[in-house]
Amino acid sequence: MASDAVRAQVSAKWQESFARLNRDQPGITGLLNFSRAFAISLSYLHPRDINDPTVVRSANVPHVRAAMSTVNESRMLPYVLDGYLDEVRKRFNLVQKDVEVFMAEYAESSDPDVIRRLVFRLLAWYEAWTPLPDLGPVILSGYSLTFQTLLFSNLPPTFATGFKALCASTLPSAIPPSASTPTPSDYKMWAAFESLGLIDRFESILASVGYEHIEAYVLEMCKGKWSEPMLEGLRNWMSGKVVPWMLLAYARGAKSTEEARNMLQGVGSRFDFHMNKTLCDLRTNEIFDIIIDFPDSMGALVDLRDCLQRVDQRAELVAALRKANQKRLLHPGAETKLILSQYVATIKCLRIVDPPGVLLFKVADPIRRYLRERPDTIRNIVANLVGDDDTGDSLVDENEPIQPLQQADAEDYSDPNWEPEPIDAGPDFRANKPSDILSTLVSIYDSKDLFVRELQVLLAQRLLSITDDNVERVEKERRNIEILKIRFGEVALQVCEVMLRDMTDSKRIDGHVQSQEESVVHPTIISKHFWPALESTNLIMPGQFQKLQEDYATQFTHFKPDKRLRWLPNLGTISLRLELEDRTVEADVPPLEAAFIELFSDKNIWTIDDLTKAVGAVDRAAALNALSTWVDLGVLKEDEEGVFRLLEVAEEKSALTKGGKARGTEANPGAGGDGVLPPVTQQQQQAEQMRIYWKFIEGMLTNLGNLPLDRIQTMLKFAPGYDQTVEQLGAFMEAARREGLVVVREGMWRLNR
Amino acid sequence: MKVTVKRWHAVAQWRWDTQTSNDPQDNDDDDDDEGNVCGICRIPYEGCCPACKMPGDDCPLIWGECTHVFHLHCLLKWLNTPDSKQQCPMDRRTWQTAERKVPVINRA
Repeated sequence: MASDAVRAQVSAKWQESFARLNRDQPGITGLLNFSRAFAISLSYLHPRDINDPTVVRSANVPHVRAAMSTVNESRMLPYVLDGYLDEVRKRFNLVQKDVEVFMAEYAESSDPDVIRRLVFRLLAWYEAWTPLPDLGPVILSGYSLTFQTLLFSNLPPTFATGFKALCASTLPSAIPPSASTPTPSDYKMWAAFESLGLIDRFESILASVGYEHIEAYVLEMCKGKWSEPMLEGLRNWMSGKVVPWMLLAYARGAKSTEEARNMLQGVGSRFDFHMNKTLCDLRTNEIFDIIIDFPDSMGALVDLRDCLQRVDQRAELVAALRKANQKRLLHPGAETKLILSQYVATIKCLRIVDPPGVLLFKVADPIRRYLRERPDTIRNIVANLVGDDDTGDSLVDENEPIQPLQQADAEDYSDPNWEPEPIDAGPDFRANKPSDILSTLVSIYDSKDLFVRELQVLLAQRLLSITDDNVERVEKERRNIEILKIRFGEVALQVCEVMLRDMTDSKRIDGHVQSQEESVVHPTIISKHFWPALESTNLIMPGQFQKLQEDYATQFTHFKPDKRLRWLPNLGTISLRLELEDRTVEADVPPLEAAFIELFSDKNIWTIDDLTKAVGAVDRAAALNALSTWVDLGVLKEDEEGVFRLLEVAEEKSALTKGGKARGTEANPGAGGDGVLPPVTQQQQQAEQMRIYWKFIEGMLTNLGNLPLDRIQTMLKFAPGYDQTVEQLGAFMEAARREGLVVVREGMWRLNR
Repeated sequence: MKVTVKRWHAVAQWRWDTQTSNDPQDNDDDDDDEGNVCGICRIPYEGCCPACKMPGDDCPLIWGECTHVFHLHCLLKWLNTPDSKQQCPMDRRTWQTAERKVPVINRA
């Protein structure tokens, strides 16, 4: 049994509770009042089914409010609330049912509007169940926390996608740029989002909606459009279109622009960064083509430069460009000329993007290494320098001031403007002072001597090919050399100077000799040690040619008694007129051809062996080549192998005029028409055989660009059944050249396209 | 058939006539550089002496009675040194310029 003390205690508690509930009212009136108020509160705070029209919330708000305050005064409100929240939990299946209905509809239609309606429906539930606002924030927040917890735990995963679609649908559509401003219903919806706590809950989704929108817009607007800088326009678009949306999503509560700006600061710069990054990624992917399009792609480069300052993706840019170069540029199929011009464009482009040159250094390295391995790099550079280029577009910018080649010099630390190397420069980075393009190209190789030597060879070729005292061309070469002198230095080009002087001297001497005794010979007299080694043969010019040479040499020695002339008979060209019985043939031919035809003026039939003997020892292939020129001109005819006959009277041209492939086809029986079939010579048979291999050669030249003859021969040996000698191949290629299928230049063959 | 040469663009090298005899048959062209260098600077006659930039008439040769031939500039420089005693550097005979081969002004 309880002791007195306990009994007293219980009774004290009871008295106290009673007093609290009764609130100093007489008797138990207070208690009765309280229990009435409690009942009213409970019945008011009842999560009703909003679908059920019979249950109407009692509108007697003051009454309820009085009851609530009574309960509150008795400090029993938490119990009421607990009970209420329990009720909410129990009745949440009503909401759940609605969610399921809407989500099922959404799954069918994928229409974000369904989600929109769902949100409003949820809001209706939420608001219907909200306790009176003047119950204080504690109760309200307790309620909304419970409601949101229940809601989120009941929302299916597909809701996230739907929500995303809904958010996206509120964005101003990118294309066509519509001037849509947020409608009042949008405001309402965002308010609903906030009430339901959806914005906090799905913040990452919201952000990704923004990102994706920006990405799509940037890609749409900027892809492949390089001529103008896009960044400015994008920024305007951001502030004009995206920011209003962001205001809705992130700064609805803002009362002043100042406040809004503060609220948007973090998210705004994230979005701006994302825009820069997207553009940067896009341009990085396009960089190779941007460089190809330079200088029309200036805008893109400026964009890239600005983006790179914001987004640190320099390494990605380098990697992308290196990869693209590897894949698209540095392979055997690309012509050296092409690689060079792309390299030059790369230099120019990356200088815009990154003036200190770190990017360029990293990108250029593989290109330079590759170019160094190519045999014809120097030739191409030099050819371009002297304007000896088919395309005519110069690697070196003509507006660029001509200046001496710059050598990489040691850093001058006493320079007050000295700056340390950029932070991402590699250990072997050489501060590449913005020097001119040519210096950069020349620095691919360790020494410029190679260039000078090549230049000399090229100059020699060009000077010797000037046939008709073309003063202008000599002057042009002289101008070129003057310019190159500035670049390479006077001393290096001294030799070229001598070569040019030889040209003018020759002209002067020739003028003098001609005034003494007219001659058809107009030689270029060269200073032996100042010209590159010229191939010499033991060709002896027969007949009248010998006489012409001797006469001229005698005159020369009269003019310059202490000098003699030594002819290089295999060089130069001769204009001939052949008077045959029924026709005259005029031709400009090399000396060997002239020598042969001169021999035919004595005797109509020669064997090739006799011919070669008569002009000194010449290569059989060269001799065949020379003879085939005349065969093509219809002057000679090869009756049987190695025996040539002069055609005083022209024969039917069929089977004679065309070389190579055509020769074989036209010799087909029945194709002739005159009934007299020319005998199929060995050469024709070979030509027929070679037709099979033409496909191989064609493929080779397509894939590998220029090839020397012996390289073609080596590769053809892999073809089944190929048994031709390199001379035969040479003759065949020569025939193909006459047909216009290929062209040869400095011993390199390539397709004529 | 008659072959007419309309125009011949030929290529030739000039050489100094370093042969001492007048026999034209002796004008054999040999590319033997060893015999064709100036005994003083060891640069081919057809090149130019170290002080010159342009070969040929700007850097002529000088022929001696002793059959030795030098770049004119090289020999003059030598003869101007007291050590030379006006002798040919090759055979130490007193230098005498050969009459026949004095570089002459165009006489033709």
